[in-house]
Parts: sequence; C-alpha cells; structure tokens
Amino acid sequence: MSSASARTGLSLLSPAFLVMAATLLAPVVALIVMSFWTQSGFEIDRTFTLANYARLVEPGEGTVWYGIRFPLAYPVPAVLMVKSLAMSLVATICVIGVAWPMAYFLAFRVTRYKAMWMILLTIPFWTSYLLRVFSWKIVLGFNGAINSGLQWLGLIKEPLEFLLYNPLAVMITLAHSWIAFSVLPIYVSLEKIDRTLLEAASDLGDSRWKRFRRITLPLSMPGTIAATLLVFIPTVGDYVTPTLVGGPGGTMIGSLVQQLFLRQDNAPLGAAISIVMMLIIAALVGLFLWLIGYRRIRRRIG
Amino acid sequence: MTRRFDPLLLYAVLFVLFLYGPMLLMPLFSLNDGNFATFPLKGFTLRHYGEMARNTSMMTALKNSLIVGLGVSVTATALALPAALALTRYRVPAGGAILSFMMLPLVVPSIVLAVGLLIVVLRLLGLPLSLWTVAAGHLMLCIPFGMTVLMSRLEGFDKSLEEASRDLGAGGWSTFRRVTLPLAAPGVISSLLLCFIISFDEFVISFFLTGTDNTLPVFLFSQLRFPNRLPGTLALGSLILVGSAVLVILAEVVRKRGVASDNPGDI
Amino acid sequence: MQRVKFIDRMAQGKLSRRDMLQSAGAFGVGLIALPRLARAQGGPLTCLEWGGYDAEEYVGAYVSKHGALPDFSIFSGEEEALAKVRAGFAADVMHPCNYSVSRFVNAGLVTEIDTSKLSNWADVFPALQTAEGVVQDGKVVMAPADWGNSSIAYRSDLIDPAFVADPTWAIFYDEAYAGKVSMLDNEVAFQIGAMVGGMPYDEAYKLSGAALEEAAKTWGAKAVNVSRFLWNDPSEVQQAMASGEIVAAYAWNDLVKNLKAEGIPVEYAKPKEGMFTWFCGLTMLNSGKADPALAYDFIDAWLSPETGKYLIESSGYGHANMKSFEVADPAEVAAMGITDPEAMMGSSILFRTPTDEVQVEHNRVWGDIKALKM
Repeated sequence: MSSASARTGLSLLSPAFLVMAATLLAPVVALIVMSFWTQSGFEIDRTFTLANYARLVEPGEGTVWYGIRFPLAYPVPAVLMVKSLAMSLVATICVIGVAWPMAYFLAFRVTRYKAMWMILLTIPFWTSYLLRVFSWKIVLGFNGAINSGLQWLGLIKEPLEFLLYNPLAVMITLAHSWIAFSVLPIYVSLEKIDRTLLEAASDLGDSRWKRFRRITLPLSMPGTIAATLLVFIPTVGDYVTPTLVGGPGGTMIGSLVQQLFLRQDNAPLGAAISIVMMLIIAALVGLFLWLIGYRRIRRRIG
Repeated sequence: MTRRFDPLLLYAVLFVLFLYGPMLLMPLFSLNDGNFATFPLKGFTLRHYGEMARNTSMMTALKNSLIVGLGVSVTATALALPAALALTRYRVPAGGAILSFMMLPLVVPSIVLAVGLLIVVLRLLGLPLSLWTVAAGHLMLCIPFGMTVLMSRLEGFDKSLEEASRDLGAGGWSTFRRVTLPLAAPGVISSLLLCFIISFDEFVISFFLTGTDNTLPVFLFSQLRFPNRLPGTLALGSLILVGSAVLVILAEVVRKRGVASDNPGDI
Repeated sequence: MQRVKFIDRMAQGKLSRRDMLQSAGAFGVGLIALPRLARAQGGPLTCLEWGGYDAEEYVGAYVSKHGALPDFSIFSGEEEALAKVRAGFAADVMHPCNYSVSRFVNAGLVTEIDTSKLSNWADVFPALQTAEGVVQDGKVVMAPADWGNSSIAYRSDLIDPAFVADPTWAIFYDEAYAGKVSMLDNEVAFQIGAMVGGMPYDEAYKLSGAALEEAAKTWGAKAVNVSRFLWNDPSEVQQAMASGEIVAAYAWNDLVKNLKAEGIPVEYAKPKEGMFTWFCGLTMLNSGKADPALAYDFIDAWLSPETGKYLIESSGYGHANMKSFEVADPAEVAAMGITDPEAMMGSSILFRTPTDEVQVEHNRVWGDIKALKM
C-alpha cells in the first residue's frame, strides 16, 4: 500500500477525528490526571499518589456476595463491577438473541418498504426513555397490564408481585431499550450479503443449514460484533434502568461513580474507578474479539 | 400461488408486539380520566391533550430536542461516513489507536464527559451555554455509534466496484456518489436513526451543557417532581409515537407509489 | 472575548503548564476556583430553578414589574445543580432546601441576602427567619419560601388497623411489612431507624464513626430489605400508592392531596416518633451577572402572599409568608391538616444538616448498604 492511500485515508478520517479530539481530549486527560490526586471537602490535593488505585485492591476482611468472596478492605466497587458486568453480559446475550432473527427477517424476507421498516423499529425510541420505563412499570406492575389481564381471565386471584423490582425486570427493560441498537447493525451487515452467493451454494447442493453456517453467519459477523459492542459497553455503565425497575438493590457501578462525583466529594476515587472500569471493558472486548477470531473474519470477508 | 407458512413472519409479528405493546399503554392512559396510570380505567377524556398543548415549556423543549437531534444525526453521520471509509478502505497509520480513542465515549461514564465538557466550554473557551454546546456534546456521543454501524456495513465489500468506477474515469466524488454511497445507504440510514435516538433521549450531557434552553429529557426529568403533570407527558409521548408512525407509513407509501420498485436490494 | 484571549495566549506559547493544569484541575466538580470573572452587571436575571416552578404563578409580582419572566435554567436534583454552578455556570438565584443549602455556602458560591430589601420579609414565620439553613454564621443566606412535611402516608383501606391506632415509623423496618412499603432513597432511612430504636433526632442526624456503622447495619439494612423499592421521585411513589402496590410510604404533603383528589383513600399519619418539616428557599449566587435588584425582586415575589396562596392551593405545600394562610382557601388549608402552621412547625422535627464530612459519610454508608444488598 502506498503513502497515497495513507494520505487519502487520513484526510477522510481527520474531520471526525478533530471533532472527537476537541470534545474528548480534555475530559479524558483530566480524568486520568485526577485519578492520581486526592480530595477532601471541596479542596483538591494535587500531589501525585496511587492511593485511589491502592484503595480498590487493598486486602481486608471483605464481604461475601452471592457466594463470591471479596477479600477487600473496600469491596463495594469490586462487587458493583462484577454485578454490572454480569447484568450487562446477560442483557447483551438476550438482546442479540432476540434481535438476530428480526434482522434476518428484515434482510431476507422484507422486499418492499425496507426504509419504512427500519424507521418503524426505532419509533418507540423517539419517545422519552423515562416514558418507556414508565410503560414497562405499568406492564409489569402490581395492578399492571399483565396482572390485570390474568385476573380478568380468572387465572390468578392476587396480583403477582415478582414481576417488578428484580433482575429479571431489569433484563427485560434493558433488552427493550437497546433492541434498536442491535437490530440495525446486524441488518446492515446481513443485507449486503450477495444473494447470488447463496443461490450458488444451493445449486452446489448445500442444505439450508449448511448454507446458513458457511455463508450467512460468517458474513453477518461484522454487524453482529458491532451490535454486541454497542449494547454491552454502554449498558455496563447504565444505572437508570436498574434504579427504576430493579428495586432497592438496583445500584450499579455507574451510580457509584455518579455519587462519588456529586455527593461524596471524592471525584478522584470516582475517576480511578472509571479508569479501572474502562480498562476492564477494553480487556473483555479484546478477549471477545480474539475468541471469535475477528482478524480472521476480517481477512476472509475482506 | 399459496405461501408456505413462514415461522420468521410469526417471529417478526411477536417482535413488533414486544416492541410496541408496552408503548401502547401510553396512548391508553393519556386518554384515561385520571392522573394515575392504574387499572381499571376511569373513563375517556381529552383533557390531558389540552394540558399538553397549553404547556409551552414542554412544546419549546420538544422543538429544541428535534432541532438538536436532527442536526446532530446528520452532522455525526456526515463525519462518520468518511471516517468509516478511511478505516475500512485505506491503510491509515495508527488506525487502531485512533479508532480506540474515538470509541471512548462508549466507555467513559457520561457524568465525567458532561462535567469535563462543561468546564472546557465555560472556563477554557468562555462560551455561553446554548443548544450549540448541547449539540457538540451529542455529536461526540454519536460519532462512535455512527462509525461502528458504518464500518460494519463497509467492511467486506468488494472494492473492485469502486476501482472499476475509477478505471472508467470517474472522479473521486463521482465514484463516491454513484458507487460508495448507494452501497453504504442502509448503514447511513441506520446511523441517522441511531444518532437521532441517542441525541433525542440523552439527559446527563444535555443537563450540564444547556443554558436556559431545555431539551425534552431535561424537561421530563424535572416533571417527575409533579405527578399531576404525568398524563400531560404521556399525551406528548403518544402523539410522538402515533404521529410519527402514521407520517412514516404515509410518506413511504406515497413515495413507493411513484417508483413502484420491487427490487429486493432496494431500500 | 475570553476565548480569543485563550487562543492567543496558546498561540504565543504563553499558556503555561500551570494554567493548563489548573484548567484540567477545574475538571470534575469544578474543584479549583479559578479566579472568577468580576460581577458584570446588567445581564438578564438567570434563575436556577426546579422544573415546574419556572412559571409565572410563582413570581407574579416580578412579572408585573418587569414585564416578563426571568431566564430559567431548570434542574431536577440539587447536587447536579451544585456541580453545574461549581463548574462555572453563572446564575443569579438558586432554589435549594434547608438540608442542601450549606453545600452551596461551603463551596463559596453564595452571597448574603440583605433582608431589608425584601418587602415581605417581616411576614415570614419568625421560626423560619432564624432557622438553621436560613442563617449561617450570622448571615442570612437563604430566604425561606416553600415548606412541607415528611411523614407516613398510608392507604386507609389496605393497612393493618393496628398501625392506624398507633402510627409509627417502625413499619419501614418491620419484616411484616416487607414488600408493602416504600422508604425514600436517602440516608434519612437509617436516621429515622435510629429514632425508632430510641435515639433522639438531634443525635441521629449527626451520627458518625462506629455508631454510624452500627445504625447503618441495623436500621439501614432493614430499610433496604423491607421496602419494595426506595423512591427517588414523587411520581414513582404516588403511582405505586395509587395502584395499591404499597400500603404506606415516606411521603410529602402533595401525595395526600393528589391521591385524595383522585378519590383514593389515603391518610397522613402523625407517627409517635414525630413528623418532619423541611423547607426550601432562594439563595443569591455570587456568579450572577444581573443587577442584584432584579434578584431581590424575584425573591420578594416568591415570598408574596399571592404566590403562597397559589402554592397552597395547587400543591398542598406550605408557604413561608404567614399572610398566605389568611388569603388561601380555608378548605385547602384545612385539607393540608394544618390549622395553626406555627404550632405545627413547633410540634414537628425540623430537618437538620450535619457538617459536610458527616453528610458525605452518611451518603457513602447508605450507598454501600444498597450496593451490597442481594
């Protein structure tokens, strides 16, 4: 490849990069710098220290949470990190599982009005997030749609209380809120599969399943990976949904960071936790891409 | 010709039910003659729509959010498309590192981004807060989403089409317009839609970066303190939901009437 | 102008590392007070106000004098508003409450109010004129405007009659009520718990160290386990109470008013440990750019009996001006359960604010209990 390619590439990339650098650089640099400072009250002490990071790993009596031991002096961030990752992992798997067939339907079965379908899939998200969560609370709630329906049918006498304020409710609501972010990338990837390739495979006598496994699935991988990342990464830091439908134990790592910044006058510790969280997510994403052989996929379809 | 039963069609119907089902409670309770959304229903009323129409701050917030959302989604996509092209078509030095940097807004907690940007705007640049500053924040948030979607679309496309176009003497712009853009079209539409949703629904960055012009989420969060206002917001939600669905379907039907295309690849 | 200067200096390489560091340090919650711009007079009045209070009804006198509403920047939580102001957002007036105003004062954002410039000040309840939060270090830092109670609201048709006979905060820590009540998502949860355990409020609000850990472990954990959910906004708790999902909740006066208006049988208890009073008010910020006279007009308008009448009749909250209760609809006043506001204020417990350190500690302990809940 020539340097001309590099030059064209850079010139294409630079407008977006400059916008990102202008908006993102200062906050991120400050975040890193601040994680090495300390704060007391409204005053900040700008002596370099690793104390914030040390605090996160300092061994201690610890606590046991769902059978997992956290032998740390301050186990709360570690517990919340594990909880958030687990919650977001399960939600991502659900979202991708639910979205994939829909994206497939959109790519291969819908022949007309595709743009309309795409827009219709996002219209529910044009209303406010608050109103959507509110709607789910009415569906799952004590005198809500499901309970009232079942009572009306005579199937139950007393409303079911387990529908709301638990991890399941969080999962359903999260799945619902992020569905557009997974259907669209997967669809976009599936839609570009050359139909002649599929026909050729059939002509060569491949079964439907084999055709799916050998052509459709691998070729959809860029979109599926994009969808997985677009859902997984932001949901780790989400805390609004867990607070609204998760009940008293709905705290997540994102709410801890928020509290440290706004109420506990300990922005440096919040910064350190944010950075550790970013590193863990980056490591997990790297591991995920390595496991599914992202480079190989890129090369093969490229 | 009779059609074979397609389980996927059934799935699509269930999917749409899951997506729209809970949303339909909004119009239902916006027409209910009560301030709380509980069953049994109390009776039909249109008064909540009257409250909504009279609420000028809500209408202004809606207008602000629409302007910012449309502007941001178009700008973010316009910036993300060349960037995605660069990273999938050209060998950019340190491309991986640049991409990782640009994906950071997905990982950094929004409170950190919001306060950081606020200080940049107020103390470093000395600019007043306005819808422009909100839009700048949203732009930063949307570009990574747009790029991810567009890159997944552009990855693995046959480069020979673009090369052929260039060999035939078409210039860069003409190749882009006639070959690349149509290839990327579904990705472009997806990016526009996702960026609009993000901007239209974002609270934390909007709160910190807005001066005296509120966006809809900032307004709605503040209304939680007044439960009596809830049905008015439900009315607004219903109007957005039903209004935009009808509008989109009408527009599409009218458009297709004129073209009458049945090409599977056509979007 | 500032921006041009900044870029110029950067271009000339005059922007020192120290300046850069300072700017970076200002990040977060605006942790470093960069030299503030001198108060440039003559700008429009900017008010940092609760969303919903940004209406003409609350400041009628201001609007009739100046012809228009001031500019409002709305917020939904005081801590976010504080972070915004500390980061450098310039506002003239802010609407905090007695339990949060000290944070603004300690952050060095507030200027003293000269009460002689407020025509309605003389009619403010004397108890409020000198209350903790209004006066700090001998200076008036907040003009009290709206007040209300925190007590237990219950569904009279659904609750155990034993509670009605002897109302107590103990239900929020009682397994028998598990999943049927809702506490506020706030550290008052274990402060009230300690009161149920026999500690007077004057000690409970400033618990610290080992005693705090103990109270949190005993009472905080119970509150978290017994509540169906911990509420963060009135909409959430009122909706749940209306549907019968919960039978009792920590509540402000507006819950009772709103639910009664819908024909839902709900009552406001007078728990034996005591009911609470909170108040909010208006504070002048030192970052404001408008003529202070405008800020005084705005605050004075909030304190007027006309505003009080509207507040009482529309929301069921109390107003700081004694005359408001004379001009308001007597039926509405009676519906608030208040016949003698002053006596009521005397018989209830006024929320207090401990030092910043203790507040932070309480917040951390409360956050930790919720985080470790399974």
